[in-house]
Amino acid sequence: MRFAEKIIESLCVSTRQPIPGGIKPPDYKQETLRSRLMPTPIPEELILPLAQHGNSRSRPLVKPGDKVLKYQAIACSDVTGIVDLHAPTSGIVLAIENFPIPSPVDKESKCILLKKDGLDAEIDHNTLANYRSLSYLELIKLIEQAGIFGLGGAEYPSRLKLKSGKNKKIKLLIINAVECEPYITADEALLREKAQFVVQGAEILQAACMAEHCVIVIESNKADAIKALEQTQLNSSIELFKIAAKYPTGSEKQLIQAVTSKEVPSGKYPTDIGILMHNAGTAYAVYQAVIEGKPCISRITTLAGGSLKTPKNFEALIGTPIDYLLNLCGLNQQTHTMTLMGGPLMGVKLARTDVPILKTTNCIIAASEDKFPPASIELACIRCGFCADVCPASLLPQQLYLYAKCQNFSELISHGLNDCIECGACAYVCPSNIPLIQYYRASKDELASQLENKISSEQWKQRFQHHQYRVKKDKEARRDPKRRETIKPTELTLKISPPIFSREAAKKEIAAAVVRVRKRKAQFIASSGGENTETDK
Amino acid sequence: MTSSPQSPPFQRTRRSTNNIMLQVVAGCIPGISIATWYFGYGVLLNVLLSIVFALCFEALAISLRSRHIQTTLADNSALVTAVLFGLTIPPGLPWWLLFLGIGFAILIAKHIYGGLGQNPFNPAMCGYLFLLLSFPSAMTSWHIPNDALSSVQEFAPTSLSGLQQSLHLTFPFLSHNTLNPIEFVDGLAMATPLIESKMAGTSKLLTAWQTDQSLFARSSETAWELVNIGYFLGGAFLLFQRVISWHIPVAIITTVMTISILFYSPGGYAIYGTPYLHLFGSATMIGAFFIATDPVSAATTNKGKLVYGVIIGLSIYGVRAWGSYLDSIAIAVLLGNFLAPLLDHFLRPRIYGHKKGVLGPSDMGGGSNKVIDS
Repeated sequence: MRFAEKIIESLCVSTRQPIPGGIKPPDYKQETLRSRLMPTPIPEELILPLAQHGNSRSRPLVKPGDKVLKYQAIACSDVTGIVDLHAPTSGIVLAIENFPIPSPVDKESKCILLKKDGLDAEIDHNTLANYRSLSYLELIKLIEQAGIFGLGGAEYPSRLKLKSGKNKKIKLLIINAVECEPYITADEALLREKAQFVVQGAEILQAACMAEHCVIVIESNKADAIKALEQTQLNSSIELFKIAAKYPTGSEKQLIQAVTSKEVPSGKYPTDIGILMHNAGTAYAVYQAVIEGKPCISRITTLAGGSLKTPKNFEALIGTPIDYLLNLCGLNQQTHTMTLMGGPLMGVKLARTDVPILKTTNCIIAASEDKFPPASIELACIRCGFCADVCPASLLPQQLYLYAKCQNFSELISHGLNDCIECGACAYVCPSNIPLIQYYRASKDELASQLENKISSEQWKQRFQHHQYRVKKDKEARRDPKRRETIKPTELTLKISPPIFSREAAKKEIAAAVVRVRKRKAQFIASSGGENTETDK
Repeated sequence: MTSSPQSPPFQRTRRSTNNIMLQVVAGCIPGISIATWYFGYGVLLNVLLSIVFALCFEALAISLRSRHIQTTLADNSALVTAVLFGLTIPPGLPWWLLFLGIGFAILIAKHIYGGLGQNPFNPAMCGYLFLLLSFPSAMTSWHIPNDALSSVQEFAPTSLSGLQQSLHLTFPFLSHNTLNPIEFVDGLAMATPLIESKMAGTSKLLTAWQTDQSLFARSSETAWELVNIGYFLGGAFLLFQRVISWHIPVAIITTVMTISILFYSPGGYAIYGTPYLHLFGSATMIGAFFIATDPVSAATTNKGKLVYGVIIGLSIYGVRAWGSYLDSIAIAVLLGNFLAPLLDHFLRPRIYGHKKGVLGPSDMGGGSNKVIDS
């Protein structure tokens, strides 16, 4: 038995088995795999959104009119001060203004507009021959400076994932090369041609999170990628793990289940059960960052869909306008009905195509009528249960739909709405064409805002009660100074929970925060050699 | 309607609800053909007339509820209700009974609750039970053309005269002469042959085979067994097409079989009947594969479906052995419908990352969701 199999066996609670539910949609992957990975095309202008990921904000480190070099840092996080954006090529910053960004609606965000000078002149960067001489903290620092985010689509900063392993012991690092959505072949193309770099990246990640074992998981039908991996893996401790193709096995929680038969407890993270997962694309970016000293300025993006003459994979620069890439693939305007970012099952429909490629853009689909027919009319739910059969989380989508429609939130919670991963398998099989995911998202949003309201009203209630208590105390103190001590605040405040607003607790919290900040400041100065005096908030 | 979908998934299967409904109707075809062959055109007439009435009522209800008539009619759900209703009522009923029954099924049992998907009870069975309770004598007579009783002529329910008689029975105003009701004898005098005398018997098919009689001769009493085999084959087709899941039919058939074996005593008190006849000598097959599996009114979780099937199986046997009604499928299925919401509430599958299927308010956290390809 192979080593990793043994480890996985030891991690297993029960015997290994495929995930429950799941679907096997036609994958249309062959058309993009016909050609090789295309080298980085450089468009005239690059649009680099400052807020690349979620809600975090970045601030530019350059001004309009500045000349920048390739790999130069051009923006850093507002909160942590960590550089998260680098110039993909050399050129001039034309403007820092609002530009449209990829979104289902017309949405704009602050972007750096970079005009190339055609020289592609690089800034000095250090290469590293042997990463093993570095400590894990130094590795994490290198990865952090390269602005790497989860390239699989979750936009989660990789450094945070790695750091979370510091406190919790990581037993198993999983490199996720399971691209279960149709059309997307970015990871497959990457592994086919750059398997040795991915394996090295995986080794670096393993060292950085101090994982005991590392496996690369791939679908068994990706023959070329498996062959390439097997050839490079000979003298590596990393094991290859093949699983049957089924959507949505590539989802983090489902893949953990498929590999280890363990489940991530609801509300927890994989690190809580000693598992860390990174995407194969992330591993490649980590290799580039640590060994070649190149920050993350490009990513592999699949351009697919029936409206493209030559669908293929690009190693595209971040900030490349999508329509530029579409035209490179020979977009047929007549058949082009819509543009999807991401896969056909979880992606978003783009409102416009003059928007840039982001660090998370793994696929662009120029849809045509034959593969993506217009939406059919939504019929009544007949509770056939096809959806429940395919749900990977073993939820009951038909019941969730029922309760979402009548806004019965307690039943929605009871049926596990918050455990829905929105993979869309239920809506894929629904014979009545019900857009189930839309219902679930609306309910989740409503639920979240309700919770927020509840918490804030609770806070105001307690503040008010505290205020009343103070007023009463003051009154009584004025009337009878001797009775002041006899009334205790607990008698008047709410019984259900300790008061959120308490002066002592607030003082303690502030003191603790000050200590934390000081400590972190000291650490930060120490680790950056005192050059960077910017402090955390 | 014509624009592309706004939310994922953008790729979908081509399977549609109206197609599923059509497949259910297709699954009924072997049963319908065999029943027509043995019991005459009355069976076919019931089905066709039910369809016509059902579509009219459905269109009326849809327009009253100001829905889009064409798209809603196209879901074919009224068609399925009509076919199942037409198959369960005895042939030879006058048209207005059919009209009342299917009207009750479509208007009261289905659309008053909100139409397809909202009805808590199986509409066809509601319509059937409505007729059974209101017109018990008409509903327990099973008319077959009176040729069957004449020893001179060959027994041929599908002959032209058989058709004529069926038409006259269904549309009494068609006959010029006043009809003598005695002319149309209660051929088998029951909805199904599961009366005490028959239940104690052996398989007629087996008898016919052993005595070298033709298995398909219409004079032999192999009709009901063959009809059930027809429904069984149709049910197998539905299972194969994954229109229905195996849980409900298997649970019902296993339960009926088990309990009838437990109570069966050869040569003993005859009322309990042989296990074989409980399965194939009655309406068990159409009930197990076509009626109890109506997804709208059945339990929807897999565990729930199994318990639902067991409950129906037990009540099928209970009504037959100890009840006063001859037909037990409708009562059993409606009882199952009553309990389905309860079963769905308690018998849920265990959710990923949880120890249980039913979550309390404390299980709010879903953690890091929306994570695909990490």
